[in-house]
Amino acid sequence: MAVEQPTQPTIGDLIYDKLFHNYVWRSIFRTGYPNTPRNQMLVVATNVFLHLHPTRIHRTHVKITHTYCLGGLTFFMFLGLTVTGILLMFYYVPSVDRAYLDIQNIQTNVQFGQLMRNMHRWMAHAMVILVFLHMLRVFYTGAYKPPREFNWVVGVVLLVLTFLLSFTGYLLPWDQLAFWAITVGTNIAGSAPVLGPKTRFWLLGGFEVGPDALIRFYTLHVIGLPLLAAIFMAVHFWRIRRDGGLARPL
Amino acid sequence: MATVVVARPAARPTPRARDEEVLVWPDLVFVEFISALLFTVLLFLLSYLMNAPLLDEANANVTNDPAKAPWYLLNLQELLLHMNPALAGIVVPTVWLIVLGAFPYFDRSTEGQGRWFADVNSVKNTVFSFMVGWWGTLALILWNSGKVALWLKDWFGFSGGDTLAFLERSAALKDPSVVPWPDWASSIPYLWFNLKILDEGPGAGVTTFQKIDLPTLLVDIGIPAGFMVGFTCLLIFALWKVGWVLTRRDALITLMSGFVGVFLMLTIIGTAFRGPGQDLIWPWDLRTLEGIPGQE
Ligand code: HEM
Repeated sequence: MAVEQPTQPTIGDLIYDKLFHNYVWRSIFRTGYPNTPRNQMLVVATNVFLHLHPTRIHRTHVKITHTYCLGGLTFFMFLGLTVTGILLMFYYVPSVDRAYLDIQNIQTNVQFGQLMRNMHRWMAHAMVILVFLHMLRVFYTGAYKPPREFNWVVGVVLLVLTFLLSFTGYLLPWDQLAFWAITVGTNIAGSAPVLGPKTRFWLLGGFEVGPDALIRFYTLHVIGLPLLAAIFMAVHFWRIRRDGGLARPL
Repeated sequence: MATVVVARPAARPTPRARDEEVLVWPDLVFVEFISALLFTVLLFLLSYLMNAPLLDEANANVTNDPAKAPWYLLNLQELLLHMNPALAGIVVPTVWLIVLGAFPYFDRSTEGQGRWFADVNSVKNTVFSFMVGWWGTLALILWNSGKVALWLKDWFGFSGGDTLAFLERSAALKDPSVVPWPDWASSIPYLWFNLKILDEGPGAGVTTFQKIDLPTLLVDIGIPAGFMVGFTCLLIFALWKVGWVLTRRDALITLMSGFVGVFLMLTIIGTAFRGPGQDLIWPWDLRTLEGIPGQE
């Protein structure tokens, strides 16, 4: 029986070794690529980004056709929107005098500005569509049933928050599309009996869409609603774990 | 994709059926990574091909016609054309969100969870209810916008005239020449004092809360609310009679699928088929549509 002989390290091995087995790299990633089941579980359990997951899941749940990744993609859109949103915030000032010019400026003078704005816009639309599809997937797989009742409710709140995030962002370019869309949208809120006009007044900070409305929508859009959404998402994800992972036939 | 199954010796059966489980790393993390990558690429591509719209600077004096809310609210805006604004814009979405949130408290069975369309009739139930919502909404919109009456007249020479004007649009019922409403019917007092809570600003006035206008109430609230609630109940009842709806889960499937049909139809009509003055037009005649490439 042939016994495997130690071979000479190749150039590749040497480079690999230099790159990944040095002091600095090891200070960031304590282990190499996790190639044993034990280490793979450890990395999921101990890594701050991965530890939202359990270490193992039922095999039916990694099938794409079970979730179509819709919840995860919704979350991914949220992350992407945060990144592109922060970049847009560098250039955008929510004042009636500047807002529109700033957007034009972003599109024409800022390096990759148009791209950032496009990404932010299309991701926002994608998030609304994805969250809706995610809800349908949860519904048609019967995943709202006990013990996941409350997570479904948290989901409904997230659905509303997603709509509101998108709606408040819609005003910010301060163009005719934005202005009239928000006028129409808040008129809908204003039509409520008794509380309607007051609600509209609170939303807009006045009777019409103007400077006060812009600053309110901006504040809600960049901090108020994202914060709320982040909190509810944290609860949502935590509850998935607490409820024993994704639903599966009993 | 490498699938690592954590195997346990068969002699030690575990309550959590570990044999059926896979490791999150690599199996799930891999799928997540790929789908995130795919979406990033797709969105970059989309952003490269299509610019976000930017019209002229906001101007309160120049009305955008048609003035439209963001597309995901156009379903409500479409409803608004057919009924009382508070009913369409506030009551319907609020009630629907509450009903949606209450789903799991209504259907508490744990059967059939975690599988697509697990219940016997769920696929045909879904398709049928969706179709009813989809086509039913289209029919109602065409009818209430007078299109059906127009076609009847154009193609068959049939016209209801004044007496049957309500067949063209429900609003005709308000007209005293169609229905001989007595004078008092349009101002029935129900409060004998001036109620002014939280009511201010343009348009708000003393009379807001004091009188009922019966014809308007009937046309703007009674009939549409009756349609929405009545049709829903009728559909569920009919499917129950047929034997497709047997459990609470089935009833929810009917409700949800019907809703999706209605919601999509309203959104599509509101987005692509409403032109200046909110008239029904063909999408290719529409100019201000979000995201058309090259739009100024
Ligand atoms: C911002 C919005 C949302 C995010 C980021 C989100 C994220 C997620 C993720 C990542 C999962 C894991 C499984 C999957 O990807 O499908 C999940 C599961 C779930 N979501 Fe959401 N979700 C959101 C909105 C909603 C909505 C609108 C609903 C329902 C009304 C909902 C109800 C649920 C339920 C019940 C589960 C457990 C599903 C199961 O056990 O199979 N979520 N969500």
